[in-house]
Amino acid sequence: MNETDRRSFIKQSAGAMAAVALLPELGLARPVRLREPVTVGVIGAGRQGRAILGELQKMEGVAIRAICDIDERRLEAGVRRSQGAEGFADYRAMLDKRADVKAVVIATPTHLHRDIALAALAAGRHVYCETPLAHTVEDCQAMARAARASSGVFHAGLHGRSNPVYKLAWTFFRSEAVRDPVAMRAQSNRKNSWRTPAPDPARDREFNWRLDPAVSLGLAGEQGTQQFDVFHWYLGAYPVRARGGGSIRLHADGREVYDTVHCGLDFESGLHLHYEATLASTYGGEYEVLHGTNASMWLAWTHGWMFKESDAPTQGWEVYANRQRFHNDQGITLIAEATKLAAQGKLQEGIGLPNSPLYYALGDFLRSVSEGAPVVCGADEGARASIVGILANRAVVTGGTVEIDPALLRGG
Amino acid sequence: MGTRFEVVLWGGDAPRLLAVAEAALERVCELERRYSRFRADSVLSFVNAHAGERAVGVDADTFELLAACARVWRESDGAFDPTVGPLMRAWGFHGEPGDTAAAAACVGMDGVLLDEGARTVRFTRPGASLDLGGIAKGQALDEAAAIVREAGVACGLLHGGTSTVVAIGAPPGEAGWVVEVRGSPYRVALRDRAMSVSEPSGRVVERDGRRLGHVLDPRSGAPVDGASLACVVGESAMETDAWSTALLVLGARPPRMPGQLTTLLPQQGGAWAVEGPDERLFWRSDAGGRAG
Repeated sequence: MNETDRRSFIKQSAGAMAAVALLPELGLARPVRLREPVTVGVIGAGRQGRAILGELQKMEGVAIRAICDIDERRLEAGVRRSQGAEGFADYRAMLDKRADVKAVVIATPTHLHRDIALAALAAGRHVYCETPLAHTVEDCQAMARAARASSGVFHAGLHGRSNPVYKLAWTFFRSEAVRDPVAMRAQSNRKNSWRTPAPDPARDREFNWRLDPAVSLGLAGEQGTQQFDVFHWYLGAYPVRARGGGSIRLHADGREVYDTVHCGLDFESGLHLHYEATLASTYGGEYEVLHGTNASMWLAWTHGWMFKESDAPTQGWEVYANRQRFHNDQGITLIAEATKLAAQGKLQEGIGLPNSPLYYALGDFLRSVSEGAPVVCGADEGARASIVGILANRAVVTGGTVEIDPALLRGG
Repeated sequence: MGTRFEVVLWGGDAPRLLAVAEAALERVCELERRYSRFRADSVLSFVNAHAGERAVGVDADTFELLAACARVWRESDGAFDPTVGPLMRAWGFHGEPGDTAAAAACVGMDGVLLDEGARTVRFTRPGASLDLGGIAKGQALDEAAAIVREAGVACGLLHGGTSTVVAIGAPPGEAGWVVEVRGSPYRVALRDRAMSVSEPSGRVVERDGRRLGHVLDPRSGAPVDGASLACVVGESAMETDAWSTALLVLGARPPRMPGQLTTLLPQQGGAWAVEGPDERLFWRSDAGGRAG
């Protein structure tokens, strides 16, 4: 074996070694190809509904047969995007008329999820519901109860749990690589108004439900629920207390819902998660950071990095991993499908996810429907994360502290 | 698309106008995610990865975009060709040069089968791939402008990278949005019109000690010195975007170019020719005021 071959062998073996340890836990970033075709109906053809339609169309074995939206223009655009799909203005008519639709994806405003999910479950359909599941604790619990009573699949769209980068990071978190968690923080920064132009001023409240304090969960609930859940999942624990506050920093247009919020979630172990979200700055975008005694992890949905402490034990494989410099720190890129990439000699390229996190969440749901794969994120997990989001928003709105009664998270 | 898009809207309700502009730009971002060849998760990457093996089903909007590509390819006698990417790379326009003969064998929109009934796309040439960079920006601006109009905003200007612009209505008291065609002595007043300007870009290629043109002719597979600038005005930015690219190769209006498009092209000896139904919208800025 010459020097080049030897280096290549070591590199590939090293990549494989790391991935072999990870493989049993990983769904991998493989494309969705269903063994048994699934017919799908999508309820809600707004921003998220459009994204869902786009992801479903990339999958093999998925037939979009029905689309539902109360807005005529959005419905028409959705139907145009999906050959062979029938449009409905009322989800009940869709459930009644299209018995061939086996799986329903719910992407309506949060406060409308409950009735639709309950009707779909009652009609014997498999359900994927975006999170937060609902805007009240009672509705979340009602959805979890209905899902438990149903024989169908209920998948709560907490995208981190299906994300191959996050799954890979989770395996590191559970190993000695990170060791004891020390501190946690997350942010969701963007710069937009959170307003949607309604076709008719009389329908403004309907379109701008995120700015309606009566139903909106604000940034902490609408954005934070997904991000908080990453920590719930990794720690296997939920917070016991939420503190928060917020203000309007940029969009002083008469709104009441804050455009900038901060909140802190306390865990029983003494760990603390600090969260910030704003509609007034894009800096840093959306990410979660978890500091451990051996390493810290920075997760940014399509990419992830691990930063080792200088006194952490060397595991071998990371010597060959792709690295990126961040000021004084050097991050090891967490790459999904490391084995395959190592075999192709691409492990050094540091590429991100080949598809959006939404794609993998929908893929997990459809594999459960088509192949009976275990549900990756069920209604109970969805309800717990949503309740935390609801109570975090309550803390932000009141500017105070909200105790999170563990009994609320037990279901019932 | 990898370029800056801007939206200027005029009206009385600033928060609503901001929301409309955001929705328009969000649509642009959505289309960028769908049609970028640099994104592994785009619809275009999916088509490029699989259409060589099987007919790939696409949504109605994507099919219409591909059908528009095929139409302009036909009408321009192949001067606009979204399959030209492998040849561009082989000539060294985007990095290290490669085998141009092998690349030429992959190129040609006639190797892209579009089945309207089944709404599928399939490549019949091995190694073929699509790059929608010459048309997707225009389509994105058309769709963004449609969102603005549907929201009831009657006055606005949208542009992508300053090379394609869509005018909605006109500023109060004006005949149109006045846009300078940089690189020419002309200005144009646009009202409910789109305009695209193409200029040769990228590095000059040297082969055998010769400096070759900036523009690649997909038909011959070799660089040409086409027009130094091509400007097209019409109703659809998708059309003007694609046609300005084609005219850069052709250097002159081809016989089958749609009559509703107006062109501004350089002529021999430093002269310029404006031709088409919107000829009156153009005037020379160096001629002491607006004409027409």
